[in-house]
Amino acid sequence: MGRDTGELLPGTFEMLILKALSLGTMHGWGIAERIERLSGGACAVQQGAVYPVLQRLLRRGWVVAEWRATENHRRARYYRVTASGKRQLESEVEWWRRTIGGVDRVLRSAAQEA
Amino acid sequence: MSWFDALRQRAADLLGRARDRDLDEEIAHHLDLETARQVSRGCDPVTARARAIARFGDTRRITDATRDERGGQPLEGGMQDLRWAARSLRKSPGFTALALFTLTLGIGATTVAFTVLDSVLLKPLPYRDADRLVLVREQTTNQALLPPSYPNFVSWRENARSFDGVASAMMPSSQTVWPSAADGDPLRVPTMGVSRRFFAILGARPVLGREFSDDENAVGGPRAAMVSYEFWQTQMGGRTPLGSVRLGDTPTPVVGVMPPNFRFISVADVYFPHEQMPGTVRSSHNYLVVARLAPGVALESARAEMAALSKSLLATFGNATQAANTDIRLLRDYLVADYRTMLSIVFGAAGLVLLIACTNLTSALLARGRAREREIVVRAALGASRARLMRQLVLESSLLVVCGSVMAMLLAAGALHIIGALGANLIPRLNELALDARVFAFVASTAVATVLVVGVYPAFRLAHRDPGVALRGGRGAAMTVRAPVWRLLVGFEIALAVVLLIGSTLLIRTLHNILTADTGFDAHGIVTAAITPREGDGDRLEEIRSELSALPGASGAAFTSRLPLSWGNMSAPVRRTTDPGDHDWPAMAGFRIISPDYFAVLRQPVLRGRAFSAADRDGAALVAVITPGIAEKLWPGQDPIGKTIGTNFLYGKWMTVVGVVAEASSWTMPKGSQNEIYVPLGQNPNKSEGQIVAVIRTTGDPNALIPAVRTRLRQLDPSSAAQLGTMDDRIERSAADRKFAMLALTAFGVIALLLAGVGIYGVIWYIVTTRTHDIGVRMALGATGQVVQAGILRDATLMAAGGIGVGIVGGVLATHYIQATLYGVSRLDPKTYAIGAAIALCTALLGAYIPARHSSRIDPMVAIRGE
Repeated sequence: MGRDTGELLPGTFEMLILKALSLGTMHGWGIAERIERLSGGACAVQQGAVYPVLQRLLRRGWVVAEWRATENHRRARYYRVTASGKRQLESEVEWWRRTIGGVDRVLRSAAQEA
Repeated sequence: MSWFDALRQRAADLLGRARDRDLDEEIAHHLDLETARQVSRGCDPVTARARAIARFGDTRRITDATRDERGGQPLEGGMQDLRWAARSLRKSPGFTALALFTLTLGIGATTVAFTVLDSVLLKPLPYRDADRLVLVREQTTNQALLPPSYPNFVSWRENARSFDGVASAMMPSSQTVWPSAADGDPLRVPTMGVSRRFFAILGARPVLGREFSDDENAVGGPRAAMVSYEFWQTQMGGRTPLGSVRLGDTPTPVVGVMPPNFRFISVADVYFPHEQMPGTVRSSHNYLVVARLAPGVALESARAEMAALSKSLLATFGNATQAANTDIRLLRDYLVADYRTMLSIVFGAAGLVLLIACTNLTSALLARGRAREREIVVRAALGASRARLMRQLVLESSLLVVCGSVMAMLLAAGALHIIGALGANLIPRLNELALDARVFAFVASTAVATVLVVGVYPAFRLAHRDPGVALRGGRGAAMTVRAPVWRLLVGFEIALAVVLLIGSTLLIRTLHNILTADTGFDAHGIVTAAITPREGDGDRLEEIRSELSALPGASGAAFTSRLPLSWGNMSAPVRRTTDPGDHDWPAMAGFRIISPDYFAVLRQPVLRGRAFSAADRDGAALVAVITPGIAEKLWPGQDPIGKTIGTNFLYGKWMTVVGVVAEASSWTMPKGSQNEIYVPLGQNPNKSEGQIVAVIRTTGDPNALIPAVRTRLRQLDPSSAAQLGTMDDRIERSAADRKFAMLALTAFGVIALLLAGVGIYGVIWYIVTTRTHDIGVRMALGATGQVVQAGILRDATLMAAGGIGVGIVGGVLATHYIQATLYGVSRLDPKTYAIGAAIALCTALLGAYIPARHSSRIDPMVAIRGE
């Protein structure tokens, strides 16, 4: 798992998608594009990967989907985060901060001891 | 999004295929958007497209991964397979129709048989804790069972500790009742006398009012009656307060109404407290005694206690009681004892039909599997797992079985409606027929078993084909017809059908023999009319008799206390003057009080001595006429005329035998050894005999005379209602249980035959189709169509012959179980077996004929060229 392939820690992709959706209802491409743009290209995954994850989120009830017409009058599937999805996002963010903070402290102390 | 779109969306979501299309559309849209972005960054459209695809990743893998996420819903795969199964069944309507037809008949027949069996034998009686209720009867030293007498019943009630209550009811009898105390017409309805707490002990509560109080159920108590729900509704107009009815001319307050469909052994419309009647004797056997076992008391310990009690009663009362012991059995066993065999036969027959249906379906599925082999193999080669293939194939047969079961239930509901209507009065508890949860459970388990039997093996075979062999072999692979399997299956079906045919033919002949059996009198052309004469009205009876015999179309009339072939006849011991007073009297005999010309009207031959005359009346010497069996038992080798005889029905009285009359079927058809002692009505020996039946000999159709008899009786006694019928009906009814079994077995036999015929047709058709190429070659080499056809028919005959052989052996074994039911025909009757074999062979040839004929018309050129 190298940084240059843009792959992510396990579980973080779900969190990123939920976060992207919490900013506003979006279709699949929009989600991928939003994550890529907001991460400044650091989290540029293969775009297609959002679809299996979206399917999983749908099944868990964290997002809902509906077909709508786009501004170009095409049919597109829009995803929206649900209330339980928002709660999930909060807990994941909380978990993320704790983990990253912990990892970070470990890294710092290791530097001091060395 | 409009509600319509939403609806459409919801519907589309149910279909995975639509979801796949949605995903494709979503991805296409995604790629378009990404391409557009790349173009806006300055790419040319082709490069932009390529970049978009590259950035998206492997489309196929993503689609699969997404579908996998979706597949996490367990139903999804199943739904897909179910759709596949439904589609594949729709594609072969011929097969589907045949399979459904087979299943509907098979499961339907079994469902009907189970429902009848269940409501008659298995379901608890409609009383509270019915399995704790027992019927108690007296048992004489020679093991004869007698209905208890009232004093014995009271002794039991007072002394037995094993019971939580002992109650009695009188044998049901019909009486004249006026539904309104004031006016209106009388009716003749079945009535039943009941003891104290009778209903409470049964665990049946009146829906309205109360049960008789102990005061009412005591000698000299106030008059009271209870009525059935049906009587209350139809005759009393459902009135409240209940008011009074007139029972035997006396206004009687109605104190309670029993729930709908309540019955104890037989239907009664009016109940009265029989413990009001004084002066009952220990040797008068008139009661049904029912007891509830006390909690924790086993049947065996109750038997032991009652045996000891009987012994002490016998010691105290001596020959006043015949009860040397008591017989105690579960009420349910008593009620259905006569029908257990019949119903088991019917159920067994239904099981055979289901087996045939399963066989048919199995061979049809196997044949269909052959035809679809390549389809399956191609799918397996494309990556469908064996488990998945098997699941789909089993699902396909499950779908068939479920549809078949639903249709079978509809069929069963119709059939049960008819059976209920026909048999409710003939077989106990048939009025309780219903398709209830138990039946549904039965059908469900039958269906599951059917799927396991018919679905799994063909599916297993199909799914485990070696794809290489089947694909390379092409049509050639299908040529390796596993004919032995089908030959066995079809032979098996025919064998089962032959067994059923033999059984039903035996029962048809039995029924015919019974209905035409010698009754000992001329039963045809007799009208019967049960009436209740007022007490001490002897002269009036003679007037009624002469009026009835003078009716146009009547040639004679007489009276009897009980008709021949009537249920509830009792027999009691008879003795000579030399027999000691206590027990061990030498013979048992029924008892009838008759008017002088009874034997002449019934044409029951007097063998020795004389019949009664008008001179045999009060004050003259007491006389009796007996059947030869009694004479043989009491005075072997001697002339019985002039001997003195006593019967327990007239305890302490002695009569002189003046005649011997031929035995008549006094209880059931066919007559067994039914000893009878007759005494003249003119001597009026038993004042308590409330009901008397007129028998009227007609010159034409007895049914035509019934209205005239009714009218004349009404004119003669406006205060009484008569119950009319014909002797022919009575004979029909006496064979009702056998008739029921016969009809059921015949119906199942016909269904079995039909299924076997369809089975043969299917298999021969299949063999002909798979051999088209062969046949074409043979015909090109000079075989004529007739030769080919004859060959196929010979094949079918061989198959049938094998099945018939096995069926005959099966018949020899299976008829063992119906032996006791047969009458006048041996279970190994060769003619019956020949008939069964012939019918089966004809059906087999008929089934084979159509495909054989088709084979003779095959065009060799087309057959050889065609794949």
